[in-house]
Amino acid sequence: MFRLMRNVHLILGLLFFSYAMLFAASSLVIIYRPWLKPTRSEHEQTVRMAAGRAQSPREVALELIQNHGLQGDLRDIKQDGNAIRFVIARPGMRSEVKYSAATGEAKVRTRREGFLETLVQLHTNHGFWHEFMPANAWSLLSLLGSVGLLLLGATGIYLWFCHYEEIVIGLVILAVGLIYSLTTLVLSRIA
Amino acid sequence: MYAGLLSFMAFVVWGVTGIQAVFLPAPGEWQPPPVSGHKEFPFAGGGSLDDKELAKAVFQAAALTMVGGYYDVRRDEAGNLAFLVYSANGQRELTYLEKARRVRVVFRDSGLGDFLSSMHAGHSRRGAPDRSSRLWGYYNEFSTWAFLFMVLSGIYLWAATRPGMIWALILSGVTIAVTALLWVTTR
Repeated sequence: MFRLMRNVHLILGLLFFSYAMLFAASSLVIIYRPWLKPTRSEHEQTVRMAAGRAQSPREVALELIQNHGLQGDLRDIKQDGNAIRFVIARPGMRSEVKYSAATGEAKVRTRREGFLETLVQLHTNHGFWHEFMPANAWSLLSLLGSVGLLLLGATGIYLWFCHYEEIVIGLVILAVGLIYSLTTLVLSRIA
Repeated sequence: MYAGLLSFMAFVVWGVTGIQAVFLPAPGEWQPPPVSGHKEFPFAGGGSLDDKELAKAVFQAAALTMVGGYYDVRRDEAGNLAFLVYSANGQRELTYLEKARRVRVVFRDSGLGDFLSSMHAGHSRRGAPDRSSRLWGYYNEFSTWAFLFMVLSGIYLWAATRPGMIWALILSGVTIAVTALLWVTTR
């Protein structure tokens, strides 16, 4: 049983190594963000839409995605007189689009985040509702990784319990951690 | 092992939050929890204060727990000053009833899952200023470092004790390749 659990622990650890590194690193970026310099680039472009093809925000977005290299989810649609504003976003990239039906031109302002901020946006990416398929894949990885984290914890507890010489000190450490964390959690919940 | 035992509760909270997050609604589809209670208290607002200053005074007088700040300051249909406060335990809607000189607080308590989701984001400088929340933040931040340490030490232990396991090498290669492919596709 010990050998089986050790292999399960190893398999889970290897399966979710990248995911775990992503989440650990992005969590540290979130915590120490004030001390980190964000790296990002921005650029603007004007796109002339094919005549008669783009009517609604979704059609404009589709035209930009299919023929002008933008990728992401369509968000924050706003109608402002004759102009349509919306955002096409994916982790690490956000394009703000202003389309004028009168001129048939779309002004696209794109912000590309650096490595660290992209990690953070992958951390907060969630749900299976994305039109941008890789975002759904990251969500699936997040779901599996979260289940894996719980299983890693459970198998880790079992492996610790098999080290008889470590049980007493381990119990003390586990008890200290549980008492501290549960007390602060419960006090926060009933506050 | 000791790092994992000490941080065990944080990992449980993160795991539960990660599972719950996958099933959160898309942006724009979120609905606040139902009203769970309300209270009113007398408050005499200063006549010379603008709406932002008045909101701050009402917020301070309400002395709500587990909250960080106030948002969406506006005038409602009746002309009363209204704003939102987010707590780890749910949303609070504050309205200053100027004619009655009273403040009404509507509580929308969140479920346990949303509470844990709020708490999982806490650290030494983020979260409600309440002492319990701050102490949890220190634990959560420590656990983040412990997590990074465990990931790296786990890889070291595998490489140091069982480096020749072919299936483990293949598995780690596949994992890294899939993540790299996803990264490239996303970027």
